[in-house]
Amino acid sequence: MFFLYRSLLYLYPSADRHEFGDEMTTVFREVQSEATKQGLVAQALFWVREVHGLLAGALRAHLRTITGIHYPSPIFSRRLTMRSEFRFPKATVTLMTIILAAVVMAIEKATAIENSIAPTSPHVGPIQPAHFTFLPTLLLILSFGCLMGILGWVVLFALHRSGAQRLADFDPSQERTAGGGLRI
Amino acid sequence: MESLPVTEPVLLILLSLAEQPRHGYAILHDVQEMSEGRVTMSTGTLYGALRRLLDDGWIERFHEEDNSRGRQAYRLTASGRRNLRQEVSRLKQLTRVASLRVAGKET
Repeated sequence: MFFLYRSLLYLYPSADRHEFGDEMTTVFREVQSEATKQGLVAQALFWVREVHGLLAGALRAHLRTITGIHYPSPIFSRRLTMRSEFRFPKATVTLMTIILAAVVMAIEKATAIENSIAPTSPHVGPIQPAHFTFLPTLLLILSFGCLMGILGWVVLFALHRSGAQRLADFDPSQERTAGGGLRI
Repeated sequence: MESLPVTEPVLLILLSLAEQPRHGYAILHDVQEMSEGRVTMSTGTLYGALRRLLDDGWIERFHEEDNSRGRQAYRLTASGRRNLRQEVSRLKQLTRVASLRVAGKET
C-alpha cells in the first residue's frame, strides 16, 4: 500500500515532489500506523482521504505550475469565505443530463417502433423520421441545452441575488444607529 | 495569496502554528483536535496549503536542532501572524453580527 502512495506522488510536478515528497512520505507513514491501530473502517477512510488528497493536490499543483495561480482545496474551501460569486448549480447539470438521456432514449424508442411497423400500404406507411437524423439532432439538443444554460447563468449573474458580498463588506462598528442598535 | 478571507483548513493550520512551530504530523493532529474531529486533512491537502503559505510568506521553515527523524517544522512569520489577527478579527465581527441576528429572530 505504501508503494501506491509513492507511485501517486509521481503525479505531482517534479519540483513539488523533490521539495515535499520525503516529508509527505514521513507524515503518511505516521498517520498510516495510527490508522492501522484503529481498525478496518478507519483504514478504509484513511485511504480514501489520502488518495483523494493526492489526486486533487497533484491537479492543483499542475494548475498552479501552468497558470501561476493557487487553487484552494475543494473540500471545506467555501465554508468561511462567503465570496460574492455565482456558481452554476450542480443540480441543474444533473437535471440537464437526465433530460438529455430521456430525449435520446425517446428517439431510440421511436426508431424501434418505426422499424417494427411493416409497410402494408403505400398510403399508410411507417412513421417518417422527418428530415433530420440522430447525430445532428443530438448535437442540436446539446447546443440548445448549452445555450439555455449560458443564458440562465447570465440572467442570474446579472440579478446578483446572493447578497453575500454585502455581508462580506459589512463593518458593524461603523453601522450603529443613534439608538445603539445595529442597522444591517 | 489574497489577504482575506482564508479557507478553513488554512485558518486551522495558521492557528496551529500560532502557538508554536510544528511539523506536518503535529499540524494534522492539532487541526483535528481544534475542530473536535470535524476536519481531518490528508497529507496532500496539508502540503498543498503549506506550499501556498510558504510561497506567500505567511509561514517559514523552522530548523530544529534535533532533525534526526527527517521531519521539517514550520512557524508563522510576522506577516502571517498579522494576517491571522485580521482574519480572527473579521470572524469575531461576523459572529457578533450573527449572534445579534439570531437573538433578534428568537425574541
